[in-house]
Amino acid sequence: MRRCEECAVTIEGTWTTCPLCRTALIGDASPDPLPSVPLTFSKRRILKALFFASLAVILVSFVVQLFFARDLDGIGVWRSIWLGVTAMWLVVLMAVRKRRNVAKGTVYLVALIGLVCVYWDYLGGWQRWSVTYAVPIVCASAIIALLITVQLLRIDVAEHLVYSGLTVLLGLAPFVFLVFGWVNNPWASWSCIVVSLVALGDVQILRGREMRLELAKRFHL
Amino acid sequence: MPASWVRLDNASNIFLAARSDADPKVFRISAEVDHAVEPRLLQQALEATYERYRLYHAVLRGGMFWYYLQTSDLRPTVSPEHLPTCAPIYREDRRNLLFRVAYRRQRIILEIFHALSDGTGALWFLTDLVTAYLRAQGADAAGAGGGDTALPADPASQPVEDEPHPAHELIADSFSHYFHRTREPFAPADAESEAPRTAPLRTAATAALRIPRWLRAPRTRVHRIRGTRTPDNRTRVVELTMPAPAVLALARAQQTSLTIYLTALFFRALRESIGPLGHANTLAASIPINLRQFFPSTSARNFFATVRVEHAFDADGAGDDLGSICHELEAQFKPKATPQALERKLRRLIRFERTPLLRILPRVLKDAILRLINWGNNRGLSVAVSNLGRVVLPEPAGSRVGRMLFHVSAVRPQFCATSHAGLLTISFTSPFVETDHVRAFVRMLTDSGVDVSVAAARVTEDELAPQEPGA
Repeated sequence: MRRCEECAVTIEGTWTTCPLCRTALIGDASPDPLPSVPLTFSKRRILKALFFASLAVILVSFVVQLFFARDLDGIGVWRSIWLGVTAMWLVVLMAVRKRRNVAKGTVYLVALIGLVCVYWDYLGGWQRWSVTYAVPIVCASAIIALLITVQLLRIDVAEHLVYSGLTVLLGLAPFVFLVFGWVNNPWASWSCIVVSLVALGDVQILRGREMRLELAKRFHL
Repeated sequence: MPASWVRLDNASNIFLAARSDADPKVFRISAEVDHAVEPRLLQQALEATYERYRLYHAVLRGGMFWYYLQTSDLRPTVSPEHLPTCAPIYREDRRNLLFRVAYRRQRIILEIFHALSDGTGALWFLTDLVTAYLRAQGADAAGAGGGDTALPADPASQPVEDEPHPAHELIADSFSHYFHRTREPFAPADAESEAPRTAPLRTAATAALRIPRWLRAPRTRVHRIRGTRTPDNRTRVVELTMPAPAVLALARAQQTSLTIYLTALFFRALRESIGPLGHANTLAASIPINLRQFFPSTSARNFFATVRVEHAFDADGAGDDLGSICHELEAQFKPKATPQALERKLRRLIRFERTPLLRILPRVLKDAILRLINWGNNRGLSVAVSNLGRVVLPEPAGSRVGRMLFHVSAVRPQFCATSHAGLLTISFTSPFVETDHVRAFVRMLTDSGVDVSVAAARVTEDELAPQEPGA
């Protein structure tokens, strides 16, 4: 083993200078008990900064829309492109961020897309296309997509059940639209409600016990 | 069958709130055996041991109000050591086991996320793992050398169950078992009057929980150690190995315990490496205490409390010699480390944790509060010290394991000590590159005639640069 005369200690491993005082060592090297692991640089901090910067830009983009009057000539097209790009960016961000839990990510996406559509509709003069078509179709698609995904990816029931349940409940939101008469054409809402009820039956009847256990766990006080 | 689960216990929540890039709240215990570790046998031993520790099957999940541990069907695998010591284990939204087992040359390494278990709990697991491994290895070697001795190589078929094993189940949370308000006091109360109530300095610190420390004006200026962060936030570790009897004799000469002696030595070393402490002239250390020694428990989950000791350095250096510091720390430590004092402190903590208002706070807010409390606690600490004590392994491990080592990821300079086979190892860990305090510590030991051997992991670009040939 090597030796540092200054510190009067033996040094294990292949150090040529003392790790404590940097004096040159004497003697023969011995096997290193600890590995020399190359430096790694985590991109986590950069990604986090990019995420929050993006979120800020998107939020500002949305808020700024309020200052453009509806009847401004030619704004419609530009607004659509602008909102389309930012909304897409928002969806991609969320999908990437929540990629580890597909069911959770789906709930986030349904909620986000729904809100963006309603806001967009409001900016464009509240023609009710969002509540008539966009929200019900997104909800129904999400429910069907989830049913397929959890089967194909063999996701553990406990992992997705609560979020699947939430998605299904979101699918009942169009019922509210119907009750308050917010829709121009009821077929999309009804389709969504039917899909949602079928899925709810599946969750309640087939998975009722697991659902209750899962909820008891997650909401344990 | 739905997986079983249990709410995360009292002490463990703080580890989740307090973890950071530099301090992922991971610790490591390793044992050096008398030959190069055979991965195949280690894997078999791991599988057999893992079978009996249900707690180690757990993954950590976040609920609405609490974190919880949930059993999983994941299987652990051993791997050659390829990460820096105490590399992060738990990451949010990832379902992975909360421990890892690695090997390098003669070392068998167990690393654990601190929310799962504490040093004592981890030591039980490592003891069983190493014992199972050495039995299989011994049988294997005998089988290879002696021909048809016909000993099974599979450790699972070995009679590892011959000693009574504690239940390493998920359920046992010893904190609520002993300190819930509906429980009778466990420690005999009559001894309480004997506990010196007029202990010097900070006996009041035991009452600190009533008013969080960060809300009170600090009475003393505690010196916080600063330094250069390691380039990729890995833990800087320096391992010191020395004969245990020699250091024990030094501690006895000061009429104090090994932990207190080493803490005092650490304070002296810091004072020497930092130079004049200036305005903030108090050094404070936190020392964890294994509660199982007072409150019998076979739970492998966290069951410890920490005690804080401090020493204020004078400008003129009076009362700053090693003997005086030992004496002062001992006088602070003793009254705080009695079962009665610990029980009082923990009952308060549990009562606080079970406050209805706090219980209904969503987990995210609880985390924020815990982070704040942790930040406040950190302001009052310079360093941390942890002594696992003398490890006794059952045969054949007892005679075939050499030194054992104990590392912990650290937010501030820290050392962890443990001894086995007559060898005391003191592992200094730090988030900083600097090793001046270790140098001062080592030189004081060698000046007292102790033979010290040093092993350090490379952390900076310069240290990791390929060595010139022939050097």
